Parts: sequence; C-alpha cells; structure tokens
Amino acid sequence: GAGQDVGRSCILVSIAGKNVMLDCGMHMGYNDDRRFPDFSYITQNGRLTDFLDCVIISHFHLDHCGALPYFSEMVGYDGPIYMTHPTKAICPILLEDYRKITVDKKGETNFFTSQMIKDCMKKVVAVHLHQTVQVDEELEIKAYYAGHVLGAAMFQIKVGCESVVYTGDYNMTPDRHLGAAWIDKCRPDLLISESTYATTIRDSKRCRERDFLKKVHETVERGGKVLIPVFALGRAQELCILLETFWERMNLKAPIYFSTGLTEKANHYYKLFITWTNQKIRKTFVQRNMFEFKHIKAFDRAFADNPGPMVVFATPGMLHAGQSLQIFRKWAGNEKNMVIMPGYCVQGTVGHKILSGQRKLEMEGRQILEVKMQVEYMSFSAHADAKGIMQLIRQAEPRSVLLVHGEAKKMEFLKQKIEQEFHVSCYMPANGETTTVLTNPCIPVDISLGLLKRETAIGPLPDAKKPKLMHGTLLMKDNSFRLVSPEQALKELGLAEHQLRFTCRVHIQDPRKEHETGLRVYNHLKGILKDYSVQHLPDGSITVESILIQATAHSEDQGTKVLLVSWTYQDEELGSYLTSLLKKGLPQSTP
Amino acid sequence: YRDLHTFELQAPTRLIEWARGSRVCVAGYGQSDGNEILQLIPPPTLLTKETQGLCPERDFKVECGGFSERPVYSLKYVPDTSLLVTSGPPDSSLQVWQVSAEDSDVIKSVSPIATENDTGQSWAKIATISARAPWVLHGSRLDRVQITEVESRKNVYTAASGGSEELSGLAFLDCNTLLLCCASGRLCLADVRQPQSLVEGVSVPSAPCSEQWCMGTRHGAQGLEPSSQPVARLSSRGLLTLTDLRKTSEFLALAKARVPSPGSGAEFLCVSWAPALEGCLAISGFDGTVHVYDTQSWDSSGREAEPIFVHKGHAFGGAGGSGDPPLVTVHTWHLQKPRTLLSAASDGSLHVWDWVQPCGKC
Repeated sequence: GAGQDVGRSCILVSIAGKNVMLDCGMHMGYNDDRRFPDFSYITQNGRLTDFLDCVIISHFHLDHCGALPYFSEMVGYDGPIYMTHPTKAICPILLEDYRKITVDKKGETNFFTSQMIKDCMKKVVAVHLHQTVQVDEELEIKAYYAGHVLGAAMFQIKVGCESVVYTGDYNMTPDRHLGAAWIDKCRPDLLISESTYATTIRDSKRCRERDFLKKVHETVERGGKVLIPVFALGRAQELCILLETFWERMNLKAPIYFSTGLTEKANHYYKLFITWTNQKIRKTFVQRNMFEFKHIKAFDRAFADNPGPMVVFATPGMLHAGQSLQIFRKWAGNEKNMVIMPGYCVQGTVGHKILSGQRKLEMEGRQILEVKMQVEYMSFSAHADAKGIMQLIRQAEPRSVLLVHGEAKKMEFLKQKIEQEFHVSCYMPANGETTTVLTNPCIPVDISLGLLKRETAIGPLPDAKKPKLMHGTLLMKDNSFRLVSPEQALKELGLAEHQLRFTCRVHIQDPRKEHETGLRVYNHLKGILKDYSVQHLPDGSITVESILIQATAHSEDQGTKVLLVSWTYQDEELGSYLTSLLKKGLPQSTP
Repeated sequence: YRDLHTFELQAPTRLIEWARGSRVCVAGYGQSDGNEILQLIPPPTLLTKETQGLCPERDFKVECGGFSERPVYSLKYVPDTSLLVTSGPPDSSLQVWQVSAEDSDVIKSVSPIATENDTGQSWAKIATISARAPWVLHGSRLDRVQITEVESRKNVYTAASGGSEELSGLAFLDCNTLLLCCASGRLCLADVRQPQSLVEGVSVPSAPCSEQWCMGTRHGAQGLEPSSQPVARLSSRGLLTLTDLRKTSEFLALAKARVPSPGSGAEFLCVSWAPALEGCLAISGFDGTVHVYDTQSWDSSGREAEPIFVHKGHAFGGAGGSGDPPLVTVHTWHLQKPRTLLSAASDGSLHVWDWVQPCGKC
C-alpha cells in the first residue's frame, strides 16, 4: 500500500521454505493494469499454484481483496485461500458490486467476471479466531481479532519455530460496534504492521462525532435533506448507531433511511456474526438488537421526492453510480441540503470531484449539474496511530518489526522510536523492495540420559543461570537429532574406534648407554611429576600415566640419544607437556 | 465555544511553541529518559481563516521528532535558522537541536551549550532572537543571565548581577532590550549595550505568604515601541499586575483572578497576551481551566475580575476520576485567528478551541 492512499496491499513472505501471499488488493485509483499487484515478481510465466503455499486475506476492503479473482482465475492459482468467516461471506458481495460498476457502467473489458468471483470463492477456506489451521505438515496459521471492520483479522504464520504476524488493517481503540485488536505474547520473529496513521495525532472521536451530528441536526432543522453515501459495510453501521442514539436522545422526528439491496444484507451479516462485534453490542443484543434500528427504516426510491427533512444512507460510497448518485442528482440543486462523504473518494468519481470543490458537474448526455447543496467530508476510518502501533508491539513482543508504508524518509522517527523502546530492528521497505530478516531458528536435539549424567558429573556443579558446555556426538537420522556419547554412537553406527598414536622424537646429548639415559629420564621425571604415576619398566622404557618413553641410540651420532615419546590422542595434553619438558634437557647431575 | 477540538498526545507537554510555517512544537517532560520533541503540522482547520466544521484533515501530523534524554521544560526556535534550543533539569545547560524536515523526520541533537553549574541551580529559562546574529538569552538565576551566540557558542553578553533570585521568565523586548522576571515578582530591564546596569521595574505587592510570579509580554506587535506594551505578571495566588515599562513607578492595573486556593503551586503558571485582541490576556496553571480576561476595564484597585471566557475542557476530558484531575500545563494563542487558543494538560490532552465573544464586543 502507498501511504494514506487507498493502495493495493499485497505482501509476499518466504518463511522456512514456504511462500505465503498476504492480501491481494486492488488500487482503485487506476483504470489499467496498475490497479492490480504485479505478480511477475513471483514468476514470469504461468500459474502461481506451484509457487505459493497459501494466500491469506485479512479483511473485505477492496484494497486488500479486490484483485483476488483476477489473481486466482485470470493469472492462475488453485491453492488454498484463507480468510475469516465474515470476510468469506462479505467479500464476494463487494467484489460483485465493484465488478458491476466497472464493467457494466464503465464498460471495461479486461476485468474478472461473476463466474470468476464464484470460482475464486470456492477455493476459500474459512477460519475461526484463535484456531490453529494446518496448511500442510509444516505450515500453520492462526487468526486474531483486528477490529477495523467486521471480520478483519491479523494472521500469525508459523513454520517450526519461525513465525511472522501480519496485521492487515487494525485498530487499537474500540468503537461503537467493534472491539479493539488483540494479540497474545506470541513473540514472532517479525511483525508486519500497517502504519497508515502512524504520524498522525487524531482528533478525538467525540469531537468528530459531535461535529457530524451538529451538521446533520442543523440541516434537518432547517428542513434540508442529508445524503450520506456509504459502502454497504463498515463505517455505515457505526454511523447508524451514532445517529440512532442521537435521534433517541434528542427525540427527533425526521426520518432516517438506509437504502435497500446490498445494505439489508449488510445488517443481516452483522446480526449473523454478532460474536465479531464489540462486547457492549453482544451484551445488549439480548435486550435489544443494536442493528435493529427504531429510527432507521428501509429506503424506497420514491421517498427521495418526499418533501421535508430526512437523512439517507445510500450506496455506493463514492457517488460513482447507483442509488446514491441518483439521490444526489435530485438533491444537489437545493442549498438547504447536505451531502456528507464519510470516507476517501477515488479520483474520477463524483465524490472526489465535489470534495475537490467542483460545483458544476458534467453528467451523462452532456447535462450540467449545478451543485448548490453543502458538501462535507468526515473521516471515521479506524486505523492504529503511533500509540496503537507501540501498544501492539508491546503485546506481541516481536523480534523485529516491518512497517508497510510508502515514504521511508518520513518514518525515520517512528523507526527510531520502536528501535529505542523495544530494542528490535525496524524495517520500512518501499513497494517492490525485498527485506531479509535473519532469524535464529531453534533446532531441538534429544540428549541421551547416560551422556547427560556423565557430562554433568564432570567439572563444576551445574548452575541454573549459566550455560554448561558438554561434549557428545550429534547423530542426525530420519529428521531426528540426538546427542549421545561417542561410544554409543560408534556402537549404533557399527563403527570401530580408530586409535591415534603420536610419537615424538626428542634429541638429548648423552654419550652413555641407552638404558642409562633411560634411568636418568626416569629419575628426572619422577622427581618433577609428583602427581603422576611414573614407572620404569623392565625393558627400560618409562611410562608416565599411559605415555610411553623409550630411549634409543641415534643412528649416526654416538653422543646423542633419541627419546621416543609416544601417546594416544586422548593424552594429547600430557604428551605435549612431556615433550616440551624433555626438550628442555636433563639435569646434569644424575646418577 | 465556536469550535473545540481535543487531541491526545502520547506524553503530556508543558510547552507549545509556534514555528515557521504554522508548525507547532510540543515536548515531553517526564522524569525518565525517552522524552520526545514533536514538531506538528496542525490540521487545515487551524490554518485557514474561516472555521470549517468537517474538514478533510482534522488531525495533527507529526512532521518530525527527536529524542531527549532529559525532560524538556522549555523550548525556543532560533529565528532564521533551522535550530531550536531546549532546557530542562537537572542543570541550566541548553541543548541545541537541528530540524531538517525536508530530508528526514528526525530532529537531531547538536552539541549542548554548557553553563557553569553551581549547586542548587534549576533549569534555564530561554528566549531567542536573530537580530545581529542568532542569539539565545538564558539563565536560571538573576546573576546568571547571559546571551550566547548560537552558532559560534560565544558569550556576547552577561547581565550585571542584581541578586541571586530564581528567574521565572525572560524575554527580548527588542534586539537591545531584555526583560527579566524573577519568581519573587521582581522585574528588571537590561540593555545589551550597557552590561553594567540593570533597571528595576515595579515590584509586586508584598504578600503574607510567599507566592511565585511569572510574566507575559506581547510578542510581535509590529511598529510599536516595545516598551509601550504593558507587561503582565501573574502570581500563584491569582494576582495580576499590568505594568507600563515607561512608567515603572506604578501599576497600570491590578486585579485578582478567581482561582482555587490553596493553589497547586507555580510549576505551570502561564499568562499570555492575545496577539490580535486589544487588551485580552489568558491565564492558566491553577487547575484544569484556562481563563480569558479583558483588561481594558481594569484599574489599580486589585478587585476581583470576571473572566470573559473559561475553557473547562481539560477538567472533563480523559478517563474520569482516575487519579488527580488534570492540570493545564501551558496555553498559547493562535497567531492569526483572534480567538483561537491551544492548551495542554498534565494528562496528555491538547485542546484547540475558539470561543465566542459574549455581548458581541471585540
């Protein structure tokens, strides 16, 4: 995604050899191929099924799922697509709605069809919150509540002991109909967080709502009509609850309408997925269904011509077609009326034009529409700000953080803030950039009891706070790792132990006979090495522990004797010590 | 109210400073490390002349930020440079920072301006000006006032010692004239060209119990003789005096504000003149409110004055009832919009409000 723009979210993660695609969004600002993510990053030719282990969709906003049918049916992907139950129910509706407008109204040709949407949804596997789903033997995923819109989830992707958490869009403060995002201390290696509002200090919700209600009230009081174009799902429910409560409190009589069709289904879905809404709604649901409004009725096209004040919620949200545009055209000429845009409008739509200040619009058939009604904008979108992002990081305790945002240079402060407070690395890649995050995978190894007992008996007593160094042989067989003693390893593998023996020659000046030199050496060593067992054998050789020393004559020089010092590999230390000791020479006065 | 916007900062601030391009700066003053200095771009509602109710952008944006190891009690931008200066406990040295918003959004720390630190010195009060060169006037006590040239770090002026009282504020009246206010209420004028002399202003009415004073001077009144603007002094008991610097032997006016007593101390006492309203000033620091007064009707009797507006927003905000009620730490006037103020409180709230003049005056 690109900053505060409604971008196309699509992130590829490679973890322990698995490839996962996170979201598959559409950019609604473009009318050509730029509206879809560029899948050639994965492969230049053909279908993507072999390259991806799964696809995860965080929520139903089109900038996160809009390109899904294009991706699965037109580019080609047959693997599993994971999303939550509400997302699965609502996605196809929004996709179909958007398809209808793009193809039927705008006459585009290179777009997915209704059948493609249906085929795409057949590949979807719905998941529950906090349910661990095994994608295959090694890859598992789990969804967490994200707030933001109905069904939005944050996903944890885990392979072995490496994991990534992707937040999608989330909100850390609860609102009227949804709770706040929550995650446990799952300590992922990487947390990928959206940072749309990271550099914003938001006006309090109360002020926003107060101003919104004030505007609506003022318009209705003077007999005007208020049009609120909304997407079927999302903020519309929030505003409905807000108006309903206000109407009740102020005992207002003007009618509020919610346009039919898509929106009936919307309220139906909210009732269906009641467990996804916030606690207050769930608690009061028994007494009174929050989505069963007393003051809000279903709209009929004919009502638009009724005299007198009214408030109408109509779809679609950017006034680009359909009922909201029809109503707008009817009401635009009267300055007593008002239109309140509750969200972002893509360039090219009527919504965008009037928000930019245009007051004369060209409609079909060259008709000019003069807009005299008041135009207002109100943003109620629910995203986490800097404080919210810090809160989420504190909850999840990731080892590193990745912020998805367009302008890297403007995020340096937040990056430093995260790095300083949590001592983790923070990445901010640009679109198209690859970030590599190093992880320390843990490899579990079984240690044989015998080895453990033996090793702990050697050296200092084990200390719970200090790591203890142990020696053993690592056997890797059939995906299992075991640490055993060398002897056991040899036995299991049917190998014999090699005996390594070193022999070193030390030259000594001594004209006497070998056995006399031998005796000298014996006495010398006996005197020095008091803690060791020094023996003089009948054949003239000397042993120090298991090391053998023999005195032989030099082949050419009578005055020189050669001491052969020989030891096994295990006695390396003592052997080297003896050799250097003997190299220093023998004391002169010995019998 | 005509308008009220409430925001919540991650950490409370005790300063709100205006910067070039309508930017606003706030900073944390908590005891621990990791205080942030934030330069904010206010929402367009504050930048335009008319107030729009619903506006595309209603939020403050963090343009850039810096990390301070010590609490930031005072911050001043150095005009005509990309630097700012901060001060705070434990000593009276100053920290210098570089702001380069186009390149990066981090406010970088540049080397500090050290001062001699005797025991018992508190943090320095600061004022800046760029007349002959970028200067910072600073000091924590009356006998430690000096002007340092920011770029070269040279000391260009040291005030004559008039005593060792703690300062509560200092200001440049123009490029040569300094005004120093002590916590005892004593006001002194100094001329940069005459380092040996210090001129006393009127002292404040003596009080039975000790009270602390702070001052407010009118900034930016163009074309007027700076010393013709009255200086306001506010005490921790709510007394307000207005003094004309040309006639320092008497008060122009004396009034009493209705404030809770005993007061909450003088930590956050703040008095400021409205830049665009004749004779209006605002006070805060006693509780969770900001009072606005019209001083044109005041005389020297010391009577209690009625505020023409009281902003109570901070007292009602936040998680009701938990802990102490919030205390307003600072307030400031909008430089162009005549009746718009910004105020911050100890709970991290930041309010921007526009009040309606009662009785249609002003």
